Amino acid sequence: MSLRTIAIKLKIPDNAAYTALSALRRLGVEVARLERAEIWQLEDAGSERDFAARVERNETLFNQNKHELQVLDTDRPRAGEAWIEDLDAKDVPLRIAGVNRARRFVAWRLFSAGHTPADAAAVRAAVDQLLCNPAIERAITA
Amino acid sequence: MRAKVAVLVFPGTNSEIETWRICRDVGLDTHVVHWSQAASLPNYDAYVLPGGFAYEDRVRAGAIPAHDPMMDYVIEGAQSGKLVLGVCNGAQIVLEAGLVPGTGAVRKPTAAFTRNAAAHFVCKHVYLKLTIPPERCAITAALSPHALIPAWAAHGEGRLAATDEHLREITDGGHLAFVYAHADGSVDERAVPNGSALGCAGLTNREGNVLAIMPHPERDAWNYNHPDRRQTDNILAPSGGVMLFAAFAQALERL
Repeated sequence: MSLRTIAIKLKIPDNAAYTALSALRRLGVEVARLERAEIWQLEDAGSERDFAARVERNETLFNQNKHELQVLDTDRPRAGEAWIEDLDAKDVPLRIAGVNRARRFVAWRLFSAGHTPADAAAVRAAVDQLLCNPAIERAITA
Repeated sequence: MRAKVAVLVFPGTNSEIETWRICRDVGLDTHVVHWSQAASLPNYDAYVLPGGFAYEDRVRAGAIPAHDPMMDYVIEGAQSGKLVLGVCNGAQIVLEAGLVPGTGAVRKPTAAFTRNAAAHFVCKHVYLKLTIPPERCAITAALSPHALIPAWAAHGEGRLAATDEHLREITDGGHLAFVYAHADGSVDERAVPNGSALGCAGLTNREGNVLAIMPHPERDAWNYNHPDRRQTDNILAPSGGVMLFAAFAQALERL
């Protein structure tokens, strides 16, 4: 059994990310660009070789017309990134061959003006002021 | 002089017309105010935040509009004692703005109206039961004790959720204004359409000038939209939902 982590993001314009970017700028958070992705951590009993193809066949998770899928080489947020998870998150039953358990996060990745990942202080400010409601969510940062 | 009430419209609000109509019909000088007219908000005596999907519920229901410039004026007004009523998405916004239960800082929510327990949208006729002494909240002050108000629950994210500590603050502080009830006024889990903690249907703040309710009483304001009306009832006569707005109007007369 392997834990595999994927990011599914829109390849069409992401209006939610743009709205959040506008709100963060209004709040004074220093961010030039904001990316959003759905992160799935999957307990997989299948082979690594066809893993992405198996995920892409799940049409409730992935639509090739609007999504791009990336298999991450980490199970933690990257620099400039925060993962938000519901406090009462349950295992999501996904019908993907070989996948037994799934855990879902929403990832927000902040970039500074130089297109480099935003620093930890900016990510923390974004989480505290907008991206996470601690009554119902937890945030994991790099 | 009639009290002047603003019904706020964010991009994605969709219940402003029925909310405007019921406020008008209880005698209030009611105006629909769009986000581009935010600067006019200080001219109003009270604010009503209607239902819908403001900013398409991006990030979280209520999160983006809670930081909209319109809310700067609403928060300032609430802090100066103006009445604020949030219904459905309006309740989510008021909660994300920290105005209810009001036990944390502004825009630092201590609870959320979040995804229903069944994880799907609920559209169901419900009753709200007043659980606080009416005078505890200015908006409910003209209601009778344990008043029962018919309404429509129409939401995917109406379940009150908070940590145990914050739920205790809500109960101990008298913030739990309304719970879901059956038509006979009895209260049990079956009356709660969304798994809401404490059976919560509405919250008020410490000062009692802000009220946030998830169901829509404005959608059960007249007999024609009341599901239990008798054939002999005048369909244009008020049904129970109008009670809350009449109480809101009476509260504004007293200010």
